[in-house]
Amino acid sequence: MRFKLIILTLLLIVTTGTAAAQYYSGDHTFDGENKNEVSLSLTSGKNIIVGPCIGNTLHYKHYFNNHWSVDGGVNLQYTKQLYGIKAKGEYHIKLKSFHIFASAEYMFNHYHRFNTQENVSNMSLRFERGYWDVTLGGSLIGYNMMGDHYTEPLTLTFGAHASLRPRTHRWNVGLLFRNYDDFYYENWNINWGLDFYYRFNPRWKMFGEFDIRPAGSMSQLASKYETIGKVGVIYRWK
Amino acid sequence: MKKSISYSLVAVLTLVAASVSFTSCEKVSPQGVLMGNTSVDDRVMQSLVNFSSLEVAWDKYLSDTIQEYSFLVGSDSHITIDPGRLEEMLEIGMEHGDLFYCHLGDLADTKVEYYNNTEKALRNASEKWMDKYLLPVLNEDGEAYVDTALFVDPRTQNIYRKDKYNIFPYTIPFYPVVGNHDITHNGWALYSRLFKTSFYEFTIRVICENDTAYDRFIFLDSANGTLGKYQIDEIENGFFQRDKKEIRNTFTFTHTNIFRPSLTEFASTYCREELYYILDKLADWNTTIAFWGHVHAWDERWFGGVHHITMPSMNFVDHPNGGNNLLVRVTVRKNGDAIVEPVGLYSKQRSKEELEAQGYFTTTQ
Repeated sequence: MRFKLIILTLLLIVTTGTAAAQYYSGDHTFDGENKNEVSLSLTSGKNIIVGPCIGNTLHYKHYFNNHWSVDGGVNLQYTKQLYGIKAKGEYHIKLKSFHIFASAEYMFNHYHRFNTQENVSNMSLRFERGYWDVTLGGSLIGYNMMGDHYTEPLTLTFGAHASLRPRTHRWNVGLLFRNYDDFYYENWNINWGLDFYYRFNPRWKMFGEFDIRPAGSMSQLASKYETIGKVGVIYRWK
Repeated sequence: MKKSISYSLVAVLTLVAASVSFTSCEKVSPQGVLMGNTSVDDRVMQSLVNFSSLEVAWDKYLSDTIQEYSFLVGSDSHITIDPGRLEEMLEIGMEHGDLFYCHLGDLADTKVEYYNNTEKALRNASEKWMDKYLLPVLNEDGEAYVDTALFVDPRTQNIYRKDKYNIFPYTIPFYPVVGNHDITHNGWALYSRLFKTSFYEFTIRVICENDTAYDRFIFLDSANGTLGKYQIDEIENGFFQRDKKEIRNTFTFTHTNIFRPSLTEFASTYCREELYYILDKLADWNTTIAFWGHVHAWDERWFGGVHHITMPSMNFVDHPNGGNNLLVRVTVRKNGDAIVEPVGLYSKQRSKEELEAQGYFTTTQ
């Protein structure tokens, strides 16, 4: 009986390890050891409304296991006078060679300059392989200003990202386009970007992103709306 | 490494190809998917130069003769070879006695032939408009100035030189804004030859019961889905407040919509911060009615104290049999009330033979 128990325990450990190895697809997923993650970034850029702008974002993410994680964030854009918070829950599953992430998110933004409060709810699915991922979803965006409220009809959320190295590699550079970012969901406005990361060790990592946001979409794309850069560090612990 | 680069290249090229092919049609410039060829900043810079030289001519409504007036608004005519719906709009305005016309952009799809036909329609309507409204200016002896052919519009006291060879670019008071389809295929060159400016305003002085009031008409360039930095700077620097008049009604006209009529129509393409900036600015201007186009669908709502009207398209493709709200007439009463009424367009597209018989271009390159 004791022998059977030892065998069963060993099998369980091996299975868990295998599962962790199977489910780990880069540092945006649970590595089987570190369940907590905090990131701090500095954003700086320029847009047509406020000119040069600067701000910070802070995120905390907790992995419950290989499948479930929650994420909370704060956005402080000092020049834009834009302040936001968000909470996100994500479920991760592996189907054959695809990693699939289903997420639900709520975001609140206060545009102080225009005394506008924006509420955003989003549900998305992300399909991911080693070098690329595609996101599809829907956003409900509502805003209050000047005593009135308007909720826009459901907006399509879309994004795609391709990287030079596999996601599990120590460093990477990628290209992206999408109609959302950490603290906004747009309608048809596309954000074109180049991102990178470098992992110093399993706990420390730096990352960055440079985004260009043209105004409008499709044939309207001739005018710049915003260019913005972001650099930050991520720390993970058990 | 080699494999990873190949995967990435394939992924990126697929995304780019998908984007380009998705928008590759005659009305949309494929290269404009990534980056178009006229920016709003360029257009507004050019417009301000033209506006400052045209300002005296644009500022036409400051006589002491206007008490009540009306104007017609249409949108997204997408004229190709048949400018029939524009002609119908201009006819309707003349029959009713509207003081002027406003158009919310995407006037003609960007081919030379389409713009030639549009210009011809405006010139034809200008002839009729001059015949209907203009009276000869009399000299001290009570005789007309035969040599100079000066004529006056008694409604506004504006003076015109009535010479059919001298209608440049046209005389009928037609005030458009530029739309995204007006600038694809480098269409700004065609548009600006006819309409000169994409960012402008004028004021009407109205004689009320015991006083004078001013109504302001603001035309904004949002063809790129943004007002752009240069236009925003001009607005912030007080372009619309430079004469310090006390304004009774403000009416704004621009192409790209803010409000989305329903799930099946395109959403606004302003980035969110700019969207809130514009709504805030409209409230600052104490706007009476803000007119929007672009989505080819009707939407009417009050937001932040502003009456927002998003107009349906007036073109033959969307409405081959016409419709009863393809135009809007606004009548501004003596007390300042702005009354909105829908106006129908019902003309049918003409055959090539009919158009050729009337002197229109019917072949395209």
